[in-house]
Amino acid sequence: MERWICVICGFIYDEAVGMPEHGIAAGTRFSELPEDWMCPECGSPKSAFEVYSD
Amino acid sequence: MSATAASSGRIEIDGTVFNPYSKDFIRSPWATWEKLALEHPVAWHKDLNMWVVSSHEALNDMLKDNRFSTNYKHWEFAPPPKPYEQQNHFERAIDAGLFAVEPKEHLRLRKLTMPAFSKPVMGKIDAKIRDLITTCFDEIGSPEQFDAFTMIAEKLPVRSIARMVGVPTNMESFFHDFAVNVVKSTRINLPQKVRDQSIQETLPGFQYFLDLIKERRALPHPGEDFIGQLVAASDNGDSLNDYQIVSVIQAVIVAGSDTATDLHTYAIQGLLSNPDQYQLLAQKPELMENAIIELLRYGAFGKTPQFRFVTEDLEWRGQHFKKGQSVLLNLTAAWVDPQKWPNPRQLDIQRRLDGNLVFGAGAHFCIGTYLVRVQGGLMIQELMKRFPNAELVNGNGDVEYDYNHHNARRINRLLVKTNVEAARKAA
Repeated sequence: MERWICVICGFIYDEAVGMPEHGIAAGTRFSELPEDWMCPECGSPKSAFEVYSD
Repeated sequence: MSATAASSGRIEIDGTVFNPYSKDFIRSPWATWEKLALEHPVAWHKDLNMWVVSSHEALNDMLKDNRFSTNYKHWEFAPPPKPYEQQNHFERAIDAGLFAVEPKEHLRLRKLTMPAFSKPVMGKIDAKIRDLITTCFDEIGSPEQFDAFTMIAEKLPVRSIARMVGVPTNMESFFHDFAVNVVKSTRINLPQKVRDQSIQETLPGFQYFLDLIKERRALPHPGEDFIGQLVAASDNGDSLNDYQIVSVIQAVIVAGSDTATDLHTYAIQGLLSNPDQYQLLAQKPELMENAIIELLRYGAFGKTPQFRFVTEDLEWRGQHFKKGQSVLLNLTAAWVDPQKWPNPRQLDIQRRLDGNLVFGAGAHFCIGTYLVRVQGGLMIQELMKRFPNAELVNGNGDVEYDYNHHNARRINRLLVKTNVEAARKAA
């Protein structure tokens, strides 16, 4: 499981957690998100995300 | 006539529909914003000589459309470009900065700077500025009443930003003046003469930071603070040059000082005007992050929020935009657009804020968003702790406005009644 950060706003998508409140189940890989999925914080496209490590 | 459909089909308005400089508007913009959002979401303003876009839906689209550029060089009235060797520090930093570079370069810069701005890093800022907030409230003491503008809003942001950037906190006025002049330098609604004067007054600030970056580069390790992180930032061998770093620093100072001033006054005004929400937040501190965004939305302190420049002739939402024209992104109108927000004039710190435009949207989403949340959250926590029964004096804090502020509906007096003595006597 990886974490992905939006380089525009810093929002972190954690695959292990998903976004259940937005209908994305825990364990959903970033690559499995729809191509038109957008950052819930700033609306940037998937291409603005990078793998994140502390 | 105040609003017309020109023979070209262009929807036009004028100063009788929307005058962001009028005292009436600054005191109470709500009816104007509602009219703009509902009746004139996209219109050419004949007096301002620019497009004004005001509805949530239209702005949400425009913010994500690269044909509307943040780069003022696309403006039809932009000064002619200068060769690099003739440019001053301001011009070089602006050219290297996030608002001027093309989308691909912008993404690269955001990627390099993000480590210094991410939520985990900003969380650590909490510990760095907490004592400043405590000191600020110690200076207030326990009076019967105090002015939230002079005692909190004017002091806290600039001190916090100085601490965060890693420079002496005794340079408050230096930073404040630098921030104000950087903003004024780029406000296309101000006369060219004012902008030129402001540019000259930014130069000592740019020189200060360029010298600091030079010092850090000479060290074996540039340091763990914000400047150190920017100097050390790298991605596959890529790094930031001096003007890129200084452009990021100036962006943070601008966002974190002058703009955050209004965050504090309007947050206090919003909470104390709605005692039920103040009490609710005290009971449920986990609502703080949502509360700050809601307070910004509700307060809507922007007067002429942001501009974009049209990069090519285009049709958009039934209107013909010409290359070089400027657009006022009337974001504060969108924050209270009744088509997006039920009961927009009501403060509800539990409101679902999905899709809000409080920090913008798309590529130029506010880089200092988490910094603002940390600073605002700490201030409100301390206010609730020290003055749990606070009210606004005479119900409205005897509020006064700086009608000449360059871009905000700046409150420059907000009197808070602490009720500390009354609580003491009751106990």
